[in-house]
Amino acid sequence: MTFESLSDPVDVLTAFVDGRIQPLRFRWQGRVVRVRRVTGEWNRREGSTLMRYFSVESHGADTYELCYDPRGPRWILSRAWSASSRKGRG
Amino acid sequence: MERVLEKGERMILLVDMDAFFASVEQAHHPHLRGQPVIVCGDPSRRGVVTAASYEARPSGVHAGMPLQEARRLCPEAHYVEGNPEKYVAISLALLKLYLTITPDVEPFSVDEAFLALGGSLGSMDEATAIATDLQVAIEARFGLSASIGIGPSKLVAKMAAALEKPRGLVALDEEGFRRAFWPTNVQTLWGVGPKLTERLGALGIATVGDLAHAPAEALEAAFGIIGPQLREAAWGRDETPLVPYHEGVDAKSMGHEVTLPEDCDDPAFLEGTLLRLSDQVARRLRSEGYLGRTVAVKLRDKRFTTRIRQRVLPDFTADHRAVFDAAKTLWRENWNGEALRLVGVTVSSLERASSGDQTELFTPDRRAERLREAMDQVRDKLGEASLVPAGALTHRRRLGHVPFGPVTGLRRKDRA
Repeated sequence: MTFESLSDPVDVLTAFVDGRIQPLRFRWQGRVVRVRRVTGEWNRREGSTLMRYFSVESHGADTYELCYDPRGPRWILSRAWSASSRKGRG
Repeated sequence: MERVLEKGERMILLVDMDAFFASVEQAHHPHLRGQPVIVCGDPSRRGVVTAASYEARPSGVHAGMPLQEARRLCPEAHYVEGNPEKYVAISLALLKLYLTITPDVEPFSVDEAFLALGGSLGSMDEATAIATDLQVAIEARFGLSASIGIGPSKLVAKMAAALEKPRGLVALDEEGFRRAFWPTNVQTLWGVGPKLTERLGALGIATVGDLAHAPAEALEAAFGIIGPQLREAAWGRDETPLVPYHEGVDAKSMGHEVTLPEDCDDPAFLEGTLLRLSDQVARRLRSEGYLGRTVAVKLRDKRFTTRIRQRVLPDFTADHRAVFDAAKTLWRENWNGEALRLVGVTVSSLERASSGDQTELFTPDRRAERLREAMDQVRDKLGEASLVPAGALTHRRRLGHVPFGPVTGLRRKDRA
């Protein structure tokens, strides 16, 4: 697996289900990554701002860490783990 | 046979998350499940193992081991950079879950908590059923497993939790405790370390059972006030109260330490590191409402020889400059010029800022105080990395984002 530490702004299609944020798909490096499931959630306080983090697994079985920053509001892709040999991810 | 609890008797649960950090990474990254995982600092730098998954442990890898040795023992493992903020956030979410069961929850560490069950509880079987439900809830909500020990005291619960891992569930009363632990080495007793084991061994005490039957007078003569307490513990008796989360416990010390990216004998870099650590400690003191009076530095060289030296300040303080001045002096007095592997700064002898020694409030340096308040306000609003002492900037660039919070704009690519 290849690990990348990133700080890339991304567009994320999001659902709000039972008061919770659920990322569904996002556009990164010109392609759309479809989220198969959210594998983890946690929050981190940065000053007065509550940053919300999501570990997600794509349909291509790569995993990503997305961060919702309400100050934008905006989404940031902060980490990515992907199989370097795999093609047509997402 | 079901054991019925006496009126007013409470049951204590110790919830111990199995290989917590490694399990969080396995839960969040499905490709790591079933694989040996070693959580560490930046895997491309040297450092020590923070946590090892159960799949990695048969290789002999354990927390605290240098990464270099871990790589030799378990080269096939996935080396994952840990995320302490994530683990703390999940730990807090777990505490919220425990609070749905009982208001009496005492966090013991980032991956352990005591829960007190009482009131309407009728039997140990009921406590076991609650613990089973809790294990299921943790698995469903977090994808993590926990081992739970149940007993009439914190001591019994803590030791019961260690009997079966992972996913263990062990309930012991005092009699069960004695059956389980009397034949075992005295070091299995909670709180008994290698040095105490050696001293007990010199008295002919090898097992927990030996300790239970040792004459109380002899133990008191050898160990003072803790002698009889050790004997009580060997019988599974422990009166230590559970301190609920909401009541809080005063801190005794606060410290930060860092393993350097490489052994370092550059005085400017080491001084910058001490400054940053001092700033972090002082900031934490202020944000949690403490003043401290004893400053200690920890220096570890490449041979893993560790020196800790401390100094008492004339006044209580939460000012990073006062902490840094003391830390710098201690470092200069005790550093022999040899390359260092790890440095740390700790402040102890703490007092609550509102009730303790207020000497610092009368400092003539009001300008410095106003500056500190302004810096705290900026950090409260924008985060810890938004302001750092200028003297620590070189240090920050060389360490990248580790371990002082995120620095935006950095990109890194590694093979995991």
